[in-house]
Amino acid sequence: MSDLTVDTRDVEDVTVLYPRGFINAHTVRGFDTAIQKAVARRRFRIVVNCEGLTYIASAGLGAMMGAIEEIRASGGDLRMASLNETVHNIFEILGFNHLYKTFPSEAEAIASFREGGQAAS
Amino acid sequence: MLPTAPRRRAKPALVVKIPSETSYLALVRDLTKKMAETAGFPETTADRLALAVDEATTNVIEHAYKGAADQEIELRFEDRGPEFRVEIIDTGQMIDPRTVPRVDLERFVTERRTGGLGMHLMEKIMDSCTFRRSGRRNVCLLVKRKDSAPAA
Repeated sequence: MSDLTVDTRDVEDVTVLYPRGFINAHTVRGFDTAIQKAVARRRFRIVVNCEGLTYIASAGLGAMMGAIEEIRASGGDLRMASLNETVHNIFEILGFNHLYKTFPSEAEAIASFREGGQAAS
Repeated sequence: MLPTAPRRRAKPALVVKIPSETSYLALVRDLTKKMAETAGFPETTADRLALAVDEATTNVIEHAYKGAADQEIELRFEDRGPEFRVEIIDTGQMIDPRTVPRVDLERFVTERRTGGLGMHLMEKIMDSCTFRRSGRRNVCLLVKRKDSAPAA
Protein backbone atom coordinates (compact mmCIF):
# COMPACT_ATOMS: atom_id res chain seq x y z
CA MET A 1 0.00 0.00 0.00
CA SER A 2 1.27 3.44 -0.90
CA ASP A 3 2.02 5.89 1.93
CA LEU A 4 -0.02 8.56 0.16
CA THR A 5 -2.48 8.65 -2.71
CA VAL A 6 -4.20 11.80 -3.89
CA ASP A 7 -7.33 11.43 -6.01
CA THR A 8 -8.94 14.43 -7.69
CA ARG A 9 -12.58 15.08 -8.51
CA ASP A 10 -14.16 18.10 -10.18
CA VAL A 11 -17.51 19.19 -8.78
CA GLU A 12 -18.63 21.88 -11.20
CA ASP A 13 -16.13 24.71 -10.71
CA VAL A 14 -14.60 23.27 -7.54
CA THR A 15 -11.78 20.72 -7.55
CA VAL A 16 -11.65 18.37 -4.58
CA LEU A 17 -8.40 16.66 -3.60
CA TYR A 18 -8.49 13.46 -1.54
CA PRO A 19 -5.14 12.79 0.16
CA ARG A 20 -5.21 9.33 1.74
CA GLY A 21 -2.37 8.35 4.05
CA PHE A 22 0.11 10.79 5.52
CA ILE A 23 1.99 13.79 4.18
CA ASN A 24 5.57 14.31 5.28
CA ALA A 25 8.88 15.05 3.56
CA HIS A 26 8.78 11.57 1.96
CA THR A 27 5.32 11.78 0.45
CA VAL A 28 4.81 15.51 -0.08
CA ARG A 29 5.61 15.41 -3.79
CA GLY A 30 2.36 13.60 -4.56
CA PHE A 31 0.34 16.22 -2.69
CA ASP A 32 2.25 19.11 -4.22
CA THR A 33 1.80 17.64 -7.71
CA ALA A 34 -1.96 17.32 -7.21
CA ILE A 35 -2.23 20.99 -6.18
CA GLN A 36 -0.03 22.12 -9.06
CA LYS A 37 -2.02 20.08 -11.58
CA ALA A 38 -5.22 21.75 -10.45
CA VAL A 39 -3.61 25.18 -10.73
CA ALA A 40 -2.22 24.31 -14.18
CA ARG A 41 -5.81 23.49 -15.26
CA ARG A 42 -6.80 26.90 -13.92
CA ARG A 43 -8.93 25.26 -11.25
CA PHE A 44 -8.46 27.80 -8.50
CA ARG A 45 -11.33 26.78 -6.27
CA ILE A 46 -9.84 23.86 -4.39
CA VAL A 47 -11.10 21.83 -1.45
CA VAL A 48 -8.77 19.41 0.32
CA ASN A 49 -10.91 16.66 1.82
CA CYS A 50 -8.79 15.45 4.75
CA GLU A 51 -11.03 12.55 5.76
CA GLY A 52 -8.37 10.02 4.76
CA LEU A 53 -5.39 12.08 5.95
CA THR A 54 -3.86 10.63 9.11
CA TYR A 55 -1.32 13.41 9.67
CA ILE A 56 0.48 16.24 7.94
CA ALA A 57 4.00 17.51 8.67
CA SER A 58 5.41 20.91 7.76
CA ALA A 59 6.35 19.69 4.28
CA GLY A 60 2.67 19.36 3.41
CA LEU A 61 1.82 22.72 4.93
CA GLY A 62 4.68 24.20 2.92
CA ALA A 63 3.16 22.79 -0.29
CA MET A 64 -0.06 24.63 0.51
CA MET A 65 1.78 27.83 1.33
CA GLY A 66 3.71 27.58 -1.92
CA ALA A 67 0.55 27.66 -4.01
CA ILE A 68 -1.87 29.81 -2.05
CA GLU A 69 -0.78 33.20 -3.33
CA GLU A 70 -1.32 32.28 -6.98
CA ILE A 71 -4.63 30.61 -6.15
CA ARG A 72 -5.97 33.65 -4.28
CA ALA A 73 -4.57 36.13 -6.80
CA SER A 74 -6.57 34.24 -9.42
CA GLY A 75 -9.80 34.69 -7.49
CA GLY A 76 -9.82 31.25 -5.90
CA ASP A 77 -9.04 29.72 -2.57
CA LEU A 78 -7.81 26.52 -0.99
CA ARG A 79 -10.17 25.30 1.71
CA MET A 80 -10.03 22.35 4.04
CA ALA A 81 -12.71 19.84 4.96
CA SER A 82 -13.12 16.95 7.39
CA LEU A 83 -9.91 17.40 9.40
CA ASN A 84 -9.34 14.73 12.00
CA GLU A 85 -8.20 15.74 15.49
CA THR A 86 -4.50 15.22 14.76
CA VAL A 87 -4.52 17.36 11.63
CA HIS A 88 -6.74 19.97 13.27
CA ASN A 89 -4.30 20.23 16.18
CA ILE A 90 -1.38 20.81 13.83
CA PHE A 91 -3.33 23.56 12.07
CA GLU A 92 -4.05 25.20 15.41
CA ILE A 93 -0.46 24.96 16.64
CA LEU A 94 0.77 26.78 13.54
CA GLY A 95 -2.12 29.20 13.31
CA PHE A 96 -3.07 27.79 9.92
CA ASN A 97 -6.72 27.81 10.99
CA HIS A 98 -6.50 31.60 10.58
CA LEU A 99 -5.01 31.33 7.09
CA TYR A 100 -7.22 28.61 5.65
CA LYS A 101 -10.96 28.21 6.01
CA THR A 102 -11.88 24.83 7.41
CA PHE A 103 -15.25 23.08 7.26
CA PRO A 104 -16.71 19.99 8.93
CA SER A 105 -17.62 18.40 5.58
CA GLU A 106 -16.72 18.46 1.90
CA ALA A 107 -20.25 19.55 0.99
CA GLU A 108 -20.00 22.59 3.26
CA ALA A 109 -16.58 23.51 1.89
CA ILE A 110 -17.88 23.30 -1.69
CA ALA A 111 -21.01 25.28 -0.79
CA SER A 112 -18.87 28.03 0.76
CA PHE A 113 -17.57 28.93 -2.69
CA ARG A 114 -21.13 29.52 -3.82
CA GLU A 115 -22.01 31.60 -0.79
CA GLY A 116 -18.70 33.36 -0.27
CA GLY A 117 -19.34 31.64 3.02
CA GLN A 118 -17.71 31.80 6.39
CA ALA A 119 -15.58 29.03 7.76
CA ALA A 120 -16.91 26.90 10.55
CA SER A 121 -13.85 27.37 12.70
CA MET B 1 25.78 4.08 59.51
CA LEU B 2 22.65 5.83 58.33
CA PRO B 3 20.26 3.85 56.21
CA THR B 4 20.15 5.12 52.67
CA ALA B 5 17.16 5.10 50.42
CA PRO B 6 17.57 2.80 47.48
CA ARG B 7 18.74 4.81 44.48
CA ARG B 8 16.24 4.87 41.71
CA ARG B 9 18.00 3.94 38.54
CA ALA B 10 17.11 5.82 35.39
CA LYS B 11 15.51 3.73 32.70
CA PRO B 12 17.98 2.78 30.03
CA ALA B 13 17.66 4.82 26.85
CA LEU B 14 16.40 3.33 23.61
CA VAL B 15 18.92 4.05 20.88
CA VAL B 16 18.05 3.55 17.21
CA LYS B 17 20.10 4.27 14.12
CA ILE B 18 18.44 4.84 10.78
CA PRO B 19 19.67 5.69 7.28
CA SER B 20 19.21 9.33 6.29
CA GLU B 21 16.24 8.55 4.02
CA THR B 22 12.83 10.16 4.23
CA SER B 23 11.24 6.71 3.82
CA TYR B 24 12.22 6.06 7.46
CA LEU B 25 10.27 9.05 8.78
CA ALA B 26 7.11 6.99 9.25
CA LEU B 27 9.08 4.56 11.41
CA VAL B 28 10.50 7.48 13.42
CA ARG B 29 7.01 8.81 13.95
CA ASP B 30 5.55 5.44 15.02
CA LEU B 31 8.46 4.76 17.37
CA THR B 32 8.30 8.20 18.97
CA LYS B 33 4.57 7.93 19.52
CA LYS B 34 4.97 4.51 21.13
CA MET B 35 7.79 5.70 23.39
CA ALA B 36 5.85 8.82 24.42
CA GLU B 37 2.77 6.77 25.26
CA THR B 38 4.90 4.33 27.23
CA ALA B 39 6.30 7.32 29.14
CA GLY B 40 2.75 8.23 30.11
CA PHE B 41 1.70 10.94 27.66
CA PRO B 42 -1.86 10.85 26.32
CA GLU B 43 -2.29 9.97 22.66
CA THR B 44 -2.86 13.57 21.54
CA THR B 45 0.42 14.73 23.10
CA ALA B 46 2.23 11.63 21.84
CA ASP B 47 1.06 12.50 18.30
CA ARG B 48 2.51 15.99 18.66
CA LEU B 49 5.82 14.71 20.03
CA ALA B 50 6.01 12.31 17.09
CA LEU B 51 5.53 15.22 14.72
CA ALA B 52 8.31 17.23 16.43
CA VAL B 53 10.76 14.33 16.09
CA ASP B 54 9.68 13.80 12.47
CA GLU B 55 10.46 17.48 11.81
CA ALA B 56 13.86 17.32 13.55
CA THR B 57 14.80 14.20 11.58
CA THR B 58 13.62 15.81 8.34
CA ASN B 59 15.82 18.84 9.11
CA VAL B 60 18.83 16.55 9.50
CA ILE B 61 18.16 14.79 6.18
CA GLU B 62 17.46 17.96 4.22
CA HIS B 63 19.90 20.43 5.78
CA ALA B 64 22.69 18.68 7.71
CA TYR B 65 23.06 15.90 5.11
CA LYS B 66 21.66 17.95 2.20
CA GLY B 67 19.53 15.04 1.01
CA ALA B 68 22.33 12.44 1.00
CA ALA B 69 20.68 9.07 1.73
CA ASP B 70 23.85 7.17 2.65
CA GLN B 71 24.39 8.76 6.07
CA GLU B 72 23.27 7.74 9.53
CA ILE B 73 20.98 9.36 12.08
CA GLU B 74 20.93 8.28 15.71
CA LEU B 75 17.80 8.70 17.80
CA ARG B 76 18.01 8.38 21.54
CA PHE B 77 14.80 8.18 23.59
CA GLU B 78 14.92 8.64 27.35
CA ASP B 79 12.16 8.61 29.96
CA ARG B 80 13.75 10.55 32.81
CA GLY B 81 10.78 10.48 35.15
CA PRO B 82 9.55 14.09 35.08
CA GLU B 83 10.61 14.61 31.48
CA PHE B 84 10.80 12.83 28.15
CA ARG B 85 13.91 13.50 26.10
CA VAL B 86 14.77 12.70 22.51
CA GLU B 87 18.17 13.34 20.98
CA ILE B 88 18.57 13.42 17.21
CA ILE B 89 22.24 13.05 16.34
CA ASP B 90 24.01 13.45 13.00
CA THR B 91 27.49 13.99 11.63
CA GLY B 92 26.53 16.38 8.86
CA GLN B 93 26.88 20.10 8.48
CA MET B 94 26.16 22.08 11.62
CA ILE B 95 23.03 24.17 11.22
CA ASP B 96 22.86 27.15 13.53
CA PRO B 97 19.20 27.37 14.58
CA ARG B 98 19.64 31.11 15.14
CA THR B 99 20.02 31.49 11.37
CA VAL B 100 16.65 29.86 10.69
CA PRO B 101 14.17 32.66 10.10
CA ARG B 102 11.24 32.73 12.47
CA VAL B 103 7.81 32.16 11.06
CA ASP B 104 5.59 35.08 10.20
CA LEU B 105 2.51 33.56 8.59
CA GLU B 106 1.50 36.72 6.73
CA ARG B 107 4.96 36.97 5.21
CA PHE B 108 4.78 33.32 4.30
CA VAL B 109 1.79 34.05 2.11
CA THR B 110 3.09 37.22 0.51
CA GLU B 111 6.67 36.05 0.01
CA ARG B 112 5.90 32.43 -0.88
CA ARG B 113 8.21 31.25 1.85
CA THR B 114 7.83 27.64 2.90
CA GLY B 115 10.92 27.08 5.07
CA GLY B 116 11.17 27.35 8.83
CA LEU B 117 7.80 25.76 9.53
CA GLY B 118 9.38 22.59 10.91
CA MET B 119 11.50 24.50 13.43
CA HIS B 120 8.47 26.55 14.41
CA LEU B 121 6.45 23.38 15.03
CA MET B 122 9.23 21.84 17.12
CA GLU B 123 9.46 24.94 19.31
CA LYS B 124 5.70 25.12 19.75
CA ILE B 125 5.34 21.45 20.68
CA MET B 126 8.38 20.93 22.94
CA ASP B 127 9.28 22.61 26.22
CA SER B 128 12.82 23.02 24.98
CA CYS B 129 14.62 22.47 21.73
CA THR B 130 18.40 22.92 21.84
CA PHE B 131 21.31 22.26 19.49
CA ARG B 132 24.93 21.61 20.34
CA ARG B 133 28.08 20.36 18.70
CA SER B 134 29.71 17.36 20.40
CA GLY B 135 32.95 16.40 18.70
CA ARG B 136 32.01 15.71 15.10
CA ARG B 137 28.38 15.23 15.98
CA ASN B 138 25.43 17.60 15.98
CA VAL B 139 22.98 16.91 18.78
CA CYS B 140 19.43 18.23 18.72
CA LEU B 141 17.81 17.71 22.13
CA LEU B 142 14.03 17.84 22.41
CA VAL B 143 12.53 17.85 25.90
CA LYS B 144 8.90 17.59 27.00
CA ARG B 145 8.03 17.77 30.67
CA LYS B 146 5.23 15.51 31.79
CA ASP B 147 3.58 18.27 33.82
CA SER B 148 3.63 20.85 31.04
CA ALA B 149 0.56 21.97 29.16
CA PRO B 150 0.14 20.66 25.63
CA ALA B 151 1.09 22.95 22.77
CA ALA B 152 -1.38 25.79 22.36
